[in-house]
Amino acid sequence: MGSEAQAPPHRRLRSPRTRASALVALAVLAASGVLLYDAVSEWTGHHPGSWRHWLADQLATRHLDSAWVLAGAAVVASLGVWLLVLALGPGERRWLPLRQAPDTVVDRLGVAALLEWRVCAEPMVASARVRVGRRRARVTVHGSADFDRAGVVLNEELDRIGLVRRPDLKVRGRRARHRPHRQ
Amino acid sequence: MNRTTVNRVLLAVIGAVLLIGALLVLVGGFDVYHRLAVTPPSWWPLISPHQPVLSTASRTRWRDRGWWWPAVVAGFALLVVLSVCWLAAQLRRPEPAEIELPTHGTPGLRLRLRGPALSRAVQEAALHLPEVTAARVRLLGHPHLARRRARLRAQLLLKPGSDPSAAVVAFQRGPLTYAYGAVGGELPLELRLQVASSAGEPPALERRARRRRAKERRREPRVV
Repeated sequence: MGSEAQAPPHRRLRSPRTRASALVALAVLAASGVLLYDAVSEWTGHHPGSWRHWLADQLATRHLDSAWVLAGAAVVASLGVWLLVLALGPGERRWLPLRQAPDTVVDRLGVAALLEWRVCAEPMVASARVRVGRRRARVTVHGSADFDRAGVVLNEELDRIGLVRRPDLKVRGRRARHRPHRQ
Repeated sequence: MNRTTVNRVLLAVIGAVLLIGALLVLVGGFDVYHRLAVTPPSWWPLISPHQPVLSTASRTRWRDRGWWWPAVVAGFALLVVLSVCWLAAQLRRPEPAEIELPTHGTPGLRLRLRGPALSRAVQEAALHLPEVTAARVRLLGHPHLARRRARLRAQLLLKPGSDPSAAVVAFQRGPLTYAYGAVGGELPLELRLQVASSAGEPPALERRARRRRAKERRREPRVV
């Protein structure tokens, strides 16, 4: 994602997907363990569990256009899509890459804290609410300050932070109904 | 292949299997082949909406063969073993126990640095930087392939209003340079920065700010 030709590559962090893999592995383990137990017990001449009898019966009698089958298939399909998204998406959406060095990231809440700190230092700003997404940063400034000036200051602050992909800044001003808290 | 790649490939395979199976059922159930006037090949499963999901005939087709139960049991046993391995790989911390240090050709001498000792030292050095209030440093890599693929991951909490780029430079000049000196070579660095929010919000936003601060506190690096 480096914009200059000789700039080092600024990759996004890739999540190792540890938790999702642990969950899926646990689910596969549980399902295959139960089926293994049942298969062994039937192989050795015992009766299969009543649950499996019920399941086989349901699978053999329910037709494909039954609502239960279609609903189950829809749920399984969305689960499959979700797993594919987890497998292909980079994840770690909380961290934004910094231009300063490769593999250096800053937390979105941290960017929000910096923007808030900067705009609250402006005169006549009572408070500010900052939400930083990966593409947009929305700032609501409360107070009787010059909101255009606040926008300029916030843009400067975003430049100072130096993100690889600079979010678009949206500044909204709200006149404070009370006397501003900070001078 | 590292753990990230293995996890992502397995998740993709399982997701694709689930998606394809479910799509076959959905396409058959809504009678899409008939409506589109497509004739699937004869071996294609789940064509008609009036057929069961898994008929008794196809479930018990090979039941009387001698290899059926051994094959079923072996298949499930393999799945159990593989999923246990996969699960165990998630529970392990990918941390090399020690790093081999260069001895500059001294015969009979082997120097090793314990991984936690290195990360503790880098963490202490990071905490001495003026803008850092908390730090967590870990040495990552494969436990047995000591030096080759080891890398350093540092997470720093900066004071309100600090400059992230300056903090990166300070970390590279200070703690990271010491680590290079100790190891006698470069270690890839992954640096994660957090910035504390300023204290003392005005009363109007206090409740929301308190909630947000609580959220941030949960995300702050803990100092060990």
